[in-house]
Amino acid sequence: MLKELKDISKELLRTGRASVILACRRSSDGVSAMPHFIFKEEDTDAMVLDSYCVYNLSGYIKDFPGRKIGIVAKPCDARSITVLLQENQLRREDVSIIGIECRGVIDEKRSRSSDMGFAEKCRDCKSSTPSPRDYLIKGDGKTDKKDEGRDEYVSIRKSEAKSPAERFKLWQGEFSRCIRCYACRQVCPMCYCPKCVADQAHPSWFSRATGVSGNMAWNVTRAIHMAGRCTSCGECERACPAGIPLMELNKKIEKDVKELFGYEAGEDAEQKPLFSSFDKNDPDDFIK
Amino acid sequence: MSDFEPKIAAFLCNWCSYAGADLAGTSRMEYPANVKIIRVPCSGRMNPLFVLKCLANGSDGVLISGCHIGDCHYSEGNYHARRRFAVLKRFLEYIGIDPRRFQMSWVSASEGDKWAELIDELVDEIKEAGPNRMGNDKYA
Repeated sequence: MLKELKDISKELLRTGRASVILACRRSSDGVSAMPHFIFKEEDTDAMVLDSYCVYNLSGYIKDFPGRKIGIVAKPCDARSITVLLQENQLRREDVSIIGIECRGVIDEKRSRSSDMGFAEKCRDCKSSTPSPRDYLIKGDGKTDKKDEGRDEYVSIRKSEAKSPAERFKLWQGEFSRCIRCYACRQVCPMCYCPKCVADQAHPSWFSRATGVSGNMAWNVTRAIHMAGRCTSCGECERACPAGIPLMELNKKIEKDVKELFGYEAGEDAEQKPLFSSFDKNDPDDFIK
Repeated sequence: MSDFEPKIAAFLCNWCSYAGADLAGTSRMEYPANVKIIRVPCSGRMNPLFVLKCLANGSDGVLISGCHIGDCHYSEGNYHARRRFAVLKRFLEYIGIDPRRFQMSWVSASEGDKWAELIDELVDEIKEAGPNRMGNDKYA
């Protein structure tokens, strides 16, 4: 597996089909992995490939403009690349996708508490083989992390069943912990705007101080910007130092978009993005 | 709560709803003065951020009003608005913001009476919903 990956990476660099490979290497703690940008063939030696490679590396594509890129991609990462292609953020010929047959990644927060386990997102994974891809590194064929038959929106439905007052209290509580570090934004492959609305002073869209209104406005803005774009890679929630369950917001929007418009993010690079298109029969029962 | 007078921001499209509200005025129809009208070129101009900014800064309600489907001056602006705000509407409800606080309507230039009725109803609903707590940090 790893040897195959290294060979493909070397090949890409040698032939010039990529001038940088986005991959992972072991971090200094000797267990977890960290992003590794490879410019020279000999640097492929440090590559690693296991379930500690949690990163969605497609977020780094924007950092290498004008370069041919090789990228190691899990299925959720490949879907992010699809969205970037849909939104004209990169050209298909500029990126060589080394797809990884994925059995799921470790949830670092859970593994530290000695309850070693796969990330929650992996239980609802749609497919273990990434698409699009140029290469495929096969897995070891062991059982999957996927929880067959599980309703992926079970916690959303539970939340929806609560009263509005309960939900308000719940989310006020979650948002109150937000320290506005914007790690969720920085780590997100979909957040590529050169100037984020959260950093703008003129006009200032919401308070930059950590308060009820500003925190809520920021978290709603982030979530709404993910509509029809989030591919459930879970990076925002992983990066959040305050432990805000951001995927509960993303999943809610994913569910609504599926119900309202039959749209799923990252399925087809030729499809128009959700909010760049419309259907004459879109639901309008909420409009007076 | 009887003396509570809500503040409502209403974003009206230039071509239909703004003219509709104008017609209500020139026809001397009476409706509550709680709405502050902001004219936008088209309901398709509306960004969810506008709504959030209003709610975060103390509006008790936000209304977006545009041309009826099929009548958009720019052909398809309101189709885009409809799609965007269908998502926002459900999402605000999910995080516990009263769904009555954010509403949308189609009001044409000839529907002055519909506009007056709409605002009557809207103000009643928001009075029932009470003051918006999102814009007020003391409720943290």
